[in-house]
Amino acid sequence: MIEMKNNIVSFTNNTVTQERPVQLSVEHVNIFYGENHAVKDVTIPIHEKSITALIGPSGCGKSTFLRTINRMNDLIPSARCEGTINYKEVNILNPKVDVVQLRKEIGMVFQQPNPFPKSISENIQLPLRFAGVRSKKVLKQVTEDCLKQVGLWDEVKDRLDRSATSLSGGQQQRLCIARALALKPDVILLDEPTSALDPVSSAKIEELLLELKNSYTIIIVTHNMQQAARIADYTAFFYQGELVEFGTTKTLFTTPEKKSTADYISGRFG
Amino acid sequence: MNSKVTNRIALSVIVLCAAAMAAVLISMLGYILVKGLSSISWHFLTTSASPFMPGGGIKDQLWNSFYVLFITMLLTVPIGVCGGIYLAEYAKPGKITSFIRTCVEVLASLPSIVVGMFGMLLFVNYFGFKYSVLSGALALTVFNLPVIVRVTEDGFRALPRHQKEGGLALGMTHWHTIKTILLPAAFPSILTGIILSAGRVFGESAALLFTAGLSTPDLNFENWNPLAPDSPLNLFRSAETLSVHIWSVNTGGIMPDVDTIANGSAAVLVICVLIFNLFARMLGKIINQKFSGK
Repeated sequence: MIEMKNNIVSFTNNTVTQERPVQLSVEHVNIFYGENHAVKDVTIPIHEKSITALIGPSGCGKSTFLRTINRMNDLIPSARCEGTINYKEVNILNPKVDVVQLRKEIGMVFQQPNPFPKSISENIQLPLRFAGVRSKKVLKQVTEDCLKQVGLWDEVKDRLDRSATSLSGGQQQRLCIARALALKPDVILLDEPTSALDPVSSAKIEELLLELKNSYTIIIVTHNMQQAARIADYTAFFYQGELVEFGTTKTLFTTPEKKSTADYISGRFG
Repeated sequence: MNSKVTNRIALSVIVLCAAAMAAVLISMLGYILVKGLSSISWHFLTTSASPFMPGGGIKDQLWNSFYVLFITMLLTVPIGVCGGIYLAEYAKPGKITSFIRTCVEVLASLPSIVVGMFGMLLFVNYFGFKYSVLSGALALTVFNLPVIVRVTEDGFRALPRHQKEGGLALGMTHWHTIKTILLPAAFPSILTGIILSAGRVFGESAALLFTAGLSTPDLNFENWNPLAPDSPLNLFRSAETLSVHIWSVNTGGIMPDVDTIANGSAAVLVICVLIFNLFARMLGKIINQKFSGK
């Protein structure tokens, strides 16, 4: 069975030579929607400057968990959350935490590309200006740097004042990543960033993430196991709200400890 | 009967209904314009009404209509937009919010003559504003405010949720997200709603009968001091608007050319409302393009 799996997935970039330091330490996190216990007692270390993939079938709580890390679940009135997520020695689930500041340090990219219905440059500069950057020169420079970082600069440099909604889906998603990078976050959360995109655009995003992990901590939710295998250093398998297994991607995919993990990654369910 | 036949019948019924609706609208509009256009002239638009002699115009009434409309919008738009934003973005779902929403809906559907009587009791008598531009505008505010609230709330709710999440996830505060992302994105639909409601306010008569009054003092269009009694800008003078004028001329006019004046006024009113509508669409389109980049 394990040999078969190795044929399905190829490990191109799972070279975790040494354990990286832990950036986010998640301890006993429980998340509820009203009565519904959506995420159950999750404990997991998120290592710095690496990609951690959260996989599992639909409704397993992986997106809910991801949205808790930058407190986007605060928007849902019925959502409630227990436990601790330590980041820079602060429990970010503490209600007193300044979520605005938190979200500058822990950025997020969504499943559906969501550029603002404004010009391309404005999409990047708007959050920057709110963060206090006033100098036009700096704004221009950061716009260029971020667009270069996501490989969009050459495609859009002549039409920065055009509407961001005129870009293709893949370009829009890269713009959204660029926009998150502009704030110089430590962590980037991605919620199924390629599931609305065609394969070519998806491949570009994957390449980009592999480059970005040199400077950022990346957590990605994906329903695509091959994607997790291709890009992630660590993988966590969620099932019915529980964290079933967590480990380096290679271990999890080649020698899973739990039977349900093995079943899921070999395509028996999910 | 097979499904193809059903399909065809449904299509023809729908086309028939649409055609009937269009026919009624076009014939009504045509009738008003054909009857009225001949009485519209520069003279008609720029002469004050004369109570007894033929050849009177509608200058003051036309001005009053626009002035009352302007004051009404000045009162309703800021409050209404803020109220709509509150309901769409800040109000927590619950009994109080749904009660407020029900109130807004009831207020929007109040018969305008009831609003007029209420306005007379409260603004004209109790506050002592007399028959005036201000009383009229306040009465119109009562039923225009809920429309603006509704338009704003709907405009915000129609925006995709990920726009708001996008703003918040980039470390912007809720208010800043509303101000810089949601409001501009909702602006075209809010503006269209405002201009359409302006058309309704412009044509309103029942609510103004007892609040803005049935007469206009002799206006001096060279005196723009808002405190002078004969100034067009004076808020505390009575102001007969165009639609009230149509009503009063038709019911009690003793000038010999009553029909000409009524027809002409009706045509002017319809044309103005038509212009509002076309303007709303055009402006909505332009602003949408401007906000979203080229």
